[in-house]
Amino acid sequence: MDNSNRRRSFLHNRSLRAGLLALILLSLFAAIAPALSNDPYQVDLSVTLEPPSSSHLLGTDALGRDVAARIAYGARVSLGVALMTALLSLLIGAPLGVAAGYRGGWIDAIVSRCIESVACIPTLLLAISLLAVSPASLRQLPDVLRVAIVLAFGGWIPVARYLRGEFMRLRSSALVESARASGAGEWRIVVHHLLPAAMAPIWVTAAFAAAAAIMVEAVLSFLGLGVQPPQPTWGGLLSEAREQINSGWWLALTPGLALFLSVWGFNQLGEGLRQWQDPRSTRR
Amino acid sequence: MLRKIAYRFGTAALTLIGVTALMFVLIQLAPGSPIADAEDGLTPLTESERIALERMWRLDQPLPTQYLGWLGDLARGDLGNSIRDRRPVSERIGERLPLTLILNGSALLVLLLVAVPLGAAAALQPNSRLDRWSATWSYTLYAIPVFWAALMLQRLFAVRLGWLPLSGTGSDGLPLIQHLVLPVSCLSYGGVAYVSRFVRANLIESTPPEALRSARARGMTQLSILYRHGFRLAAVPLLTLAGFLIPAMIAGSVVVESVFQLPGLGTLFLDAAYQRDLPVLLAMTLLSGAATLAGIAFSDIAYSLFDPRVRRG
Repeated sequence: MDNSNRRRSFLHNRSLRAGLLALILLSLFAAIAPALSNDPYQVDLSVTLEPPSSSHLLGTDALGRDVAARIAYGARVSLGVALMTALLSLLIGAPLGVAAGYRGGWIDAIVSRCIESVACIPTLLLAISLLAVSPASLRQLPDVLRVAIVLAFGGWIPVARYLRGEFMRLRSSALVESARASGAGEWRIVVHHLLPAAMAPIWVTAAFAAAAAIMVEAVLSFLGLGVQPPQPTWGGLLSEAREQINSGWWLALTPGLALFLSVWGFNQLGEGLRQWQDPRSTRR
Repeated sequence: MLRKIAYRFGTAALTLIGVTALMFVLIQLAPGSPIADAEDGLTPLTESERIALERMWRLDQPLPTQYLGWLGDLARGDLGNSIRDRRPVSERIGERLPLTLILNGSALLVLLLVAVPLGAAAALQPNSRLDRWSATWSYTLYAIPVFWAALMLQRLFAVRLGWLPLSGTGSDGLPLIQHLVLPVSCLSYGGVAYVSRFVRANLIESTPPEALRSARARGMTQLSILYRHGFRLAAVPLLTLAGFLIPAMIAGSVVVESVFQLPGLGTLFLDAAYQRDLPVLLAMTLLSGAATLAGIAFSDIAYSLFDPRVRRG
C-alpha cells in the first residue's frame, strides 16, 4: 500500500476514530479543569451529598465538594500517569529489547531471564509490593511520578519483548546487509535503519500500556496506595463513593464512566493503530 | 520429549530464582530495619523474639549470605513469621487459601461456560451480526474496571433490591454460594473478551470454510461439526490460556476480595501491604510468581504433548 493510501485510511479506521475522539474529549476536559467554576478542594458542609443540579453539574460529595471539578482534576492524574508510564516503559524497554535482539549472546540471556522473572509477577502485585516497601528515594517524589515509576517497573516488559523479537528477525535481513555494505556503523544501522522499521508496532504497545496504566493507577488509588487524598483521582473518588453505599449514586457512577471511557479509548486507539499498520488486516 | 519437559522445568526454575532475587532486592529497598518494623506500634519484642528475628533475617551477615540463607529457608518451606501476629506465614496462607481457590475456580468455570460457546458461535459465522456484536460487547466489558462494576452491582443487588448480601462470607447465616455470586461475576467478566476471541480465532483456523461446507453438506449439525472438527484441534491452544489467565485472576482476586471483604489470599496480601508486613508480602508475591510459572510450564508441556508438529520439532 502506498503512502497516500495509508494516510487516507488512517482516519477511515473506526477503532482509531473512536479512540481518538474519546481521548481528545478527555484531554479537553482535563485542560479546562481550572476554568470550571468550582474548586475541587472547596469543602462546603451546607451542600453535602447533593444530587446533580445547575450549580453542581455532577452533584457534591460527603464534604460538599464539587464532583465535576474533582473528576476533571482526576483526569489530569490519570492521563499524566498513563503518558509517563508509557514513556518510561519505552525508555527502559526499548534499549534492553534492542540490545538483546540485535546482539544476542549473553546480553540476550540476561535480558530474557529478567523479562521472564518480572513478567511472571502480576503488575498489580508488583506495584503494590513496591509502594508498600516504598524506599526513601521513592517516597520523596510527587505521587503521580511515583506511581508511574512503579508501573513502569513491569511496563517495560511488553516493549522489550516485542523489540527483542523484531530485532532478532531484522538482524539477519537484507536491510542490515545493505546498510553494512554501504559502510554504515552498527549504531547507525540500529538507529537509522532498523528502529524506524520497528516503530509502528511500538505505538500500538504504548497505547495498550497507557490503558493498563490508567486501570492499575485507579486500582492503586482506590485501595489507598496510589495518589493520596485530598488530590482528586478517579480511583480515590470511587473509594469515597464506596463509603456512601446507601446514597449518592452519582458519586459512584461518573468517575467510573470517566475511567471506563479512557481505558476503552486507549484500547481502541491501540487496536486501531494495529489494524492500520498491519497490511494483512481487513477491517479498516 | 522428556528432555524437552526437563528443559522447560529447568528454565522455569531459573526464572523462579530470578523472581526470588527480585524479591530480595525488594527487601533491601525497604527503609528501616525489620526489627524496628516489628516493634512499630506494637508491644516491644522480648529478647528471645528479637534474637529469633535477627536470625531469620540474618542481619549480622553479608548480603550474599543473607540471600542464600533466605533461599535455603525457602527451599525447606520456611517462609518466616508474620511481623504483625508473629505466626508462621505458611500457616496464615494455608487458612486463607481455600476461599481464594473456591472463588477463582468458580470464576474460571463461569468464564469458560460463557466464553467458549460465545466464541464457538462467532466462529461458525465469522463477520455475522452475532460475531460483531460479541466482539464489541466483550471489548466493552474488558474496559469496565472491576472495582467499579463491583460497586455498581453491590448498589443494585445488595442495597436497592436486597437479593444478595453486600459483602463477607456468611456470618449473617446466608449460604456461601449467595455471598459468592457477585464476586464470581466480577472476577469472570473481564476475561470473556480475551477467551471468546481466542476460541473464535482458533476454531476458525482449525475448521476452514471448505471443511465447514462439506460437513454441512454431509448433514452434520453445527454442534457436531464444531465438536468433531473444531474442538479436537482447538483444545490444545485452549490449554495455553492457563499462562494468561492465572496472573489475571490473581490480580483480580486482590481487587474483588477487597471490595467484597472476603478473607482470602488477596486481602491477606493487601493487609500485609498496608501493615508493611514484609515476610507475608514476599511470600505472597513469590507464590503468585510460582503459580504463574506453573501455568506457563503446564501449557507449554501440554502443547508439546498433544501437538504432533511441536512434539516432533
